[in-house]
Amino acid sequence: MRVVLAQTAPRLGNIKKNLELHLQAIEKARKEKADLIVFPELSLTGYKLRDLVETVTVDPDRSKEIRELKRLSKDIALVFGFVEEREAEKGLFYNSAAFCAKGKILHVHRKVFLPTFGLFEELRFFAPGRNFRTFETPWGKMGLMICRDFLHYNASYLLYAGGAETMIVISAAPGRGLSGNKGFASSRMWELMGEAMGRFSQAFVLYCNRVGLEDGVAFAGGSFIFNPMGQRLAQAAYFQPELLVRELDMNEVRKARKNWPFKRDDKPEVTLEALQRIVRGYVD
Amino acid sequence: MSINSPFAVKILTTFIKEELSKSGFKKGILGLSGGLDSSVCAFLTAKALGPKNVIVLIMPYGRSFGGEVEDAQDVARHLKIKATVIDIAPMVDAYFKRHPTGNRVQLGNKMARERMSILYDHSAREKALILGTSNKTELLIGYGTIHGDMACAINPMGDLYKIQVRELAAYLGVPEKIRRKLPTAGLWAGQTDEVEIGLTYAEIDQVLYYLVDERESKDEVITRGFRKAHVEKILSLIKNSEFKRQMPPIAKISSRTVGHDFLYPYNWDK
Repeated sequence: MRVVLAQTAPRLGNIKKNLELHLQAIEKARKEKADLIVFPELSLTGYKLRDLVETVTVDPDRSKEIRELKRLSKDIALVFGFVEEREAEKGLFYNSAAFCAKGKILHVHRKVFLPTFGLFEELRFFAPGRNFRTFETPWGKMGLMICRDFLHYNASYLLYAGGAETMIVISAAPGRGLSGNKGFASSRMWELMGEAMGRFSQAFVLYCNRVGLEDGVAFAGGSFIFNPMGQRLAQAAYFQPELLVRELDMNEVRKARKNWPFKRDDKPEVTLEALQRIVRGYVD
Repeated sequence: MSINSPFAVKILTTFIKEELSKSGFKKGILGLSGGLDSSVCAFLTAKALGPKNVIVLIMPYGRSFGGEVEDAQDVARHLKIKATVIDIAPMVDAYFKRHPTGNRVQLGNKMARERMSILYDHSAREKALILGTSNKTELLIGYGTIHGDMACAINPMGDLYKIQVRELAAYLGVPEKIRRKLPTAGLWAGQTDEVEIGLTYAEIDQVLYYLVDERESKDEVITRGFRKAHVEKILSLIKNSEFKRQMPPIAKISSRTVGHDFLYPYNWDK
């Protein structure tokens, strides 16, 4: 499978302009003969929306922008981020990611862990998702996460337990902390997780982070791909736009899982029962 | 507290370039005093926009402290940027002739606001966006004049402590003469920041770093070996200058109020 991570800088609060950015990147990805192109979190809207959230919502079943993206997915699969509001759930806004292929939406993931502390205020404006599900694609089972979801390792575990061979993370992670080292201090945190989740879930990890600035906050970029052995296959530059192109050998999942049988030996039922005991034991 | 200077410069120059283009400006303007902070800001702006798109105003009060104007002009010449010298003495003197004061802080504040007023006028004349030069240390301890030197459209250096500005200055090639100067707000002849505040920047920056960046408590910082009186002084400077870092509070009457629950990004549709 040939993938492109589109490390772009969306325009804040302007779906029309962002759709154009998507079309341009898709065109380039097509020329690269890519099977899949991944965009960052909230790629159709920009990140720091605040009260603009309600003005940029789309209903995946009705929106003309998503119809256009679905149409384009006939010969290249797409992952993009948007603000979701469904007809059946009016007034509830989700920070969502869609996977489209063969002209259809194969899966929509709603961000579960909405960071609300320090410079983040997502719970103030978004409703949280409630699930991590895998879905079938022409390249095996995959799962989606959005930014902070990936820093909760139970999210990756659920996708792993659900059979994911590829985990796709779309992100709008600001860069925080400069030291004498390369890039932002916070980028190391994501890379560490990418390596660990790739290696111990024995799955591909595709992490697409955005770049650009919003209200003085710099998004770090540094998108990466880890293989099922936890090897870094590719990494984009920090803080500058890039289309990262890489060929993935999907046989590596089998190779990793037969050489180190973590998946064979996993016991989700033990996890489930232990978690139930823990949750039932909560005392307020 | 050491920073990766090349990467910091890349972030700050990108910030300057992007903010200007988002606001529809090609040119940037700033006040250049001949001191470290405004010189670093001039270097960053020239790097971001190209020398042709940078205008600096050198605004001495008469000729009272000497040397600064020449140093500022040297920076402008070095960067090949346009510099205009405007003496603020006639305006400031005209005012104090009618409303005399013996309070030198009041005099200094008036001068800072006179410079601000001239900068905003030239911003409109030149269609140039104003760059602020306040650093993180000054912002946190409130060592600046509200609506004076703190007034600007964008502030590229507001998250850099004084000692980090110095580190960046060396990387950018700011002349050594300027880097070696004792920091001064130029409020009166012979004034230096460190004497006026009563603490060194080296100490203030360390204490601020632990209190602010590392979110440590007062006691934790004192345990690190800083003097209790100094830590307490810095904490009180932070607390008593919060008003300088925020928009003025608005009395809430309606169901949706500017600043309370009317919340839009600064870079709206940008």
